[in-house]
Amino acid sequence: MRIRIFTFTLSIFLCAIARAELKWEQTAVELHPTAGDKEAVGHFKYQNTGSQPVRFKSVHTSCGCTVAQSQKEEVPPGEKGEITATFKIGDRTGTQVKNVTVETDDPNHATTVLTLKAVIPQELEINPTFVFWGQGEALKSKSIVVRASKDFPVKQLKVTSSSPDFQTKVEQTGNGQFKIDVQPRETTRAIAAKLVIQPEDSPKVFYATVSVTNAPATQ
Amino acid sequence: MRQALVLAALALLPGIGQAIYFRDKVSWQSPIPASEMVTVAQARAWDGNVIWVDARPDVEFERDHVPDAVPLNEDRWNELLPQFLATWSPEKRVVVYCSSQSCNASREVARRLRGEAQLKDVFVLQGGWEEWLKSRK
Amino acid sequence: MAEIAKVKFAWRIIDLVVGGVFIYAGVVKAFDPIHFASDIDNYKTLPWTMSVRLAFYLPWLEIFCGIALIARRLYVGGLSLLTPLVLIFLVATIAAKVRGLDITCGCFGHASQNWNFPAHLTLDLAILAALLALYFRFEVRK
Repeated sequence: MRIRIFTFTLSIFLCAIARAELKWEQTAVELHPTAGDKEAVGHFKYQNTGSQPVRFKSVHTSCGCTVAQSQKEEVPPGEKGEITATFKIGDRTGTQVKNVTVETDDPNHATTVLTLKAVIPQELEINPTFVFWGQGEALKSKSIVVRASKDFPVKQLKVTSSSPDFQTKVEQTGNGQFKIDVQPRETTRAIAAKLVIQPEDSPKVFYATVSVTNAPATQ
Repeated sequence: MRQALVLAALALLPGIGQAIYFRDKVSWQSPIPASEMVTVAQARAWDGNVIWVDARPDVEFERDHVPDAVPLNEDRWNELLPQFLATWSPEKRVVVYCSSQSCNASREVARRLRGEAQLKDVFVLQGGWEEWLKSRK
Repeated sequence: MAEIAKVKFAWRIIDLVVGGVFIYAGVVKAFDPIHFASDIDNYKTLPWTMSVRLAFYLPWLEIFCGIALIARRLYVGGLSLLTPLVLIFLVATIAAKVRGLDITCGCFGHASQNWNFPAHLTLDLAILAALLALYFRFEVRK
């Protein structure tokens, strides 16, 4: 009888202490990719601090631009590992926040959301990136303002149009700011061009689009 | 208590009436500003005056897309934007879509079109590509 | 007698002011329920689906309760609805402030968006005090 009670109590005790537990070093990672980087990679480290193995049921991301991979499918007790989240920067700008949802068989933390924040440096701020004239609109120049970031000082800007139908003039307005005046040769037909904007001493190029649209000018 | 119930019930009437009046202008399920969202039915009603913009990755666009949709995603924004702008004109309405409500790509593309290119009349398709597929059946 | 009349008059003024405040607050919010829905959502205490439905209902509740106070019809019903409403709103405002949330809405929707937190709090506490005073006076007179 005593042995039965002892065995029963022991099994309850063992069940209570035998648990899986995945502890994350951090669930939010902030990355600062440099200007030329194509990808930003975040590492989310974990350790199984429980006494039962933890199995990953799924790892999925909030968008197609981020791919997340787990090193292991099952994590034995005491073992460490990491989930790598690779964010494809592409032509994205500003601060990007992407989530990675991890599902495990740990009953206490079945779902964990890992956050990857990437602060993409923006050397130039172009405003607007699109300027247009309606058909028949007055032949007046329109301006595009270019602001250089404090971390990327720009002394001079080179602007070339992909079409001779548009003329451009660059003026430095001070404080790292430039004004690009654009004017089409005519507004009697639909024409378009891409403006290539390149800071002096920088291999990186930026773009703006200019066009005379099909539709007449609105008053 | 009875008086409170009477007042509560009275207030329901104009409240419901107003909700019915605003039913198409409000996003009832998610906190996206109402003026940005548009349903498949609303977009279809605009007929020839719509440019459909597919904000999904290239591989998904290649697989299938809204007829005459223009691809514009943030992976190849600089390359795809001029192509999109070549199809745009001021009287057209732009409807951006991506895969389902939880995907943020369509809102991001719409935001950039409004902010950087300063386009007016840019909308996000409620329910995304999945909603379009349902409406096709 | 004159004294009693003066006291009655003073309480009546409070009825009219408090009722008027709620009618005004309700009308301002009823004009723009969509904005009011985002204002409620900014407090991050309710899911959006509830916030948007409340945004269509609460302004009208305020208007009808305000009318109840002014017209002295369904008077105690109006008081017993408005008092917990203001209390919940006060608690939510303080909680939002503590959590560091950026909220621009007080009782008066976007009309009060340029007010600061102490101003909001003072007005809300004054309204709550007036409601409680009216309620207790009603109970005493009963």
